[in-house]
Amino acid sequence: MENDVNKLTKEDFVSAQMVKWCPGCGDHFIIASLESILPQLGKKKEDLLVISGIGCSSRSPYYVNTYGFHGIHGRALPIASGAKIANPNLSVWVTTGDGDCLAIGGNHFIHCLRRNMDIKVILYNNQIYGLTKGQYSPTTPMGKITKTSPMGTIEEPFNPGELAIGAGGTFFARALDVNPKLQMEVMLAAAKHKGTAFMEVLQNCVIFNNGAHAYINDKEFKADRQIHLEDGKPMLFGKNMDKGLKLCKNSTKLEVVTLGENNITIDDILVHNPHQEDRGVHLMLAQMKAPEYPVAMGVIRDVDKPVYSELLEGQIAEAKQKTKFHCVQDLLNSGNTWNVE
Amino acid sequence: MGELRLMKGNEVLAEAAIRAGVDGYFGYPITPQSEVMETLMLRKPWEETGMVVLQAESEVASINMVYGGAACGKKVMTSSSSPGYSLMQEGISYLAGAELPCVIINVSRGGPGLGTIQPSQADYFQVTKGGGHGDYHVIALAPNSVQEMSDFMTLAFDLAFKYRCPAVILSDGAIGQMMEKVYLSDFVPRRTEEQIRKDCGEWCTLGSKRHNVITSLELDSVVMEQRNIALMKKYAEMQKEARYEAYMTDDADYLFVAFGTASRICKKSIEMAREKGIKAGLFRPITLYPFPTKALYEIGTKMKGILSVEMNAGQMVEDVKLAVECKVPVEWAGRNGGIIPSPDEVLEALETKIIGGK
Ligand code: SF4
Repeated sequence: MENDVNKLTKEDFVSAQMVKWCPGCGDHFIIASLESILPQLGKKKEDLLVISGIGCSSRSPYYVNTYGFHGIHGRALPIASGAKIANPNLSVWVTTGDGDCLAIGGNHFIHCLRRNMDIKVILYNNQIYGLTKGQYSPTTPMGKITKTSPMGTIEEPFNPGELAIGAGGTFFARALDVNPKLQMEVMLAAAKHKGTAFMEVLQNCVIFNNGAHAYINDKEFKADRQIHLEDGKPMLFGKNMDKGLKLCKNSTKLEVVTLGENNITIDDILVHNPHQEDRGVHLMLAQMKAPEYPVAMGVIRDVDKPVYSELLEGQIAEAKQKTKFHCVQDLLNSGNTWNVE
Repeated sequence: MGELRLMKGNEVLAEAAIRAGVDGYFGYPITPQSEVMETLMLRKPWEETGMVVLQAESEVASINMVYGGAACGKKVMTSSSSPGYSLMQEGISYLAGAELPCVIINVSRGGPGLGTIQPSQADYFQVTKGGGHGDYHVIALAPNSVQEMSDFMTLAFDLAFKYRCPAVILSDGAIGQMMEKVYLSDFVPRRTEEQIRKDCGEWCTLGSKRHNVITSLELDSVVMEQRNIALMKKYAEMQKEARYEAYMTDDADYLFVAFGTASRICKKSIEMAREKGIKAGLFRPITLYPFPTKALYEIGTKMKGILSVEMNAGQMVEDVKLAVECKVPVEWAGRNGGIIPSPDEVLEALETKIIGGK
């Protein structure tokens, strides 16, 4: 029984389409993680919708065996919003890239977050335009030489997490393409979140921006350049888990400290609370850059706020309750009536 | 004649822009024309002529940067391909309404929607019939060789400034991607602000003391109608700019009408037809707007039949029929979806649809 939701496996979500991504591309890992968690959502395949815009990441709907929608460049989020409003029963997943979501789609992105549409958004961030073969994107680091920046870019990149939280995002998480365990953890948390769940996956484009994330994922350094944030746990990292984050005294900055040095104990270390509504610490965590700080991974922000469709349904219910008219007959009898004889 | 080089069509567009003294290019990557911006970035014209090259965040941003630059009387341009050109329609309508000059390149591909990245001429309607909202036209030039990609850059800017109207170069993926020899035009220096003031007069936002609002808005219908009438007059005046190529039409019984890539296929079909004793010729509109209606009437009405050969589902054929006032049979032949028709297919269509169809 293909549609007995409890019996669905990862294989049920792998489509028969030939995957056209370059061998070794990070996209393969992301889609595999998505296909792995979908059986756990308890949703029928026909109640799942994967939507994309244009770009390498946007080929994803072809490869996941659910309803799919390969939309318009930059417009995946409005399309997803329309679908979710029209059929609230759908679990809507958007697969997008740094160009699609943050350049041409930047406007839609902030408005989707502001409205808190109940949509899951996976941003494949490879810091380059892959499909059009190697031009800089809004997340390409300043100074990077690309096909359209032969002298290095002169534009400050977006930090997607900072942008999302700033725009009122209720959920932000980050993962690396080569860490499926973390990706699945993040995707499952996103699935549970009510509202726009925005995930940034640092993805390697082997062809046009190979090694873009190597700096934080290099075997030798990754323990010091990444921190896995977990709800209710102290923010510790490093090979020996003896480094931690604390708030600087008299300042609104985070600082990296070492347990046992300068009388630092575990009690000084911040405990992660993704559910606190205040954005301050979440913003600081999203902004952390290596080597000064470890890059934050895992669920950084996950707060509960009303979602758009709930508010919409609430207004409709309220209007229905207040109205004098409950059926067409009421309406017909509402004004002057005449008998035509 | 200028420097001889072997170049790709898209690269030539970039080189020609620098040589034409363009002040600013604003674009966004899209296949099959990303080489235009990439070539510009590689050439670093800002070091040589001071020309600005900027990668915008979308085609909507590109065309609006063009709108702003054009308001300053500068030579500004953008390039894109069909889906991106669609996104620019709002800006183009406003540019036409505000009567500002600029050049827009559309290296078109198959549609509708995302379609294909292969060459197509399916944007004929969009380019020649307005595309955006309101009553307006843009000048539309259709190159059929890498040489013309170079030559039409200067021509497009000249016409755009002469009529204060956006000018579009409608190319396609085949001409954009093919390599041919090309004689590049000589360098024209960028105009100084002094020259711009002199050439453009008061409309350009270049420190003029007069209160000048660039706008396409007019709420008073009576005044708005006058603006529309002025535009209509301008478009009527523009008709004299119609350009075409007539190839082996003097003794022809049958006529192909085709532009861009399709016109090159037709030349081969003509050769094959003549070997078989069928006297065919070609009428190639070079300006798609203004369409060379008069010339086509004169040449076309002498024919036994006309085949409009297009890489679309039959768009220009409507203008061909109007031009010859349906005095001779006119049919369409072509391929879609990014497929270029073969010379055999075109000849066969002539034989079945026109000669046999009589
Ligand atoms: S171009 Fe880059 S992002 Fe696109 S499929 Fe290839 S490796 Fe992946």
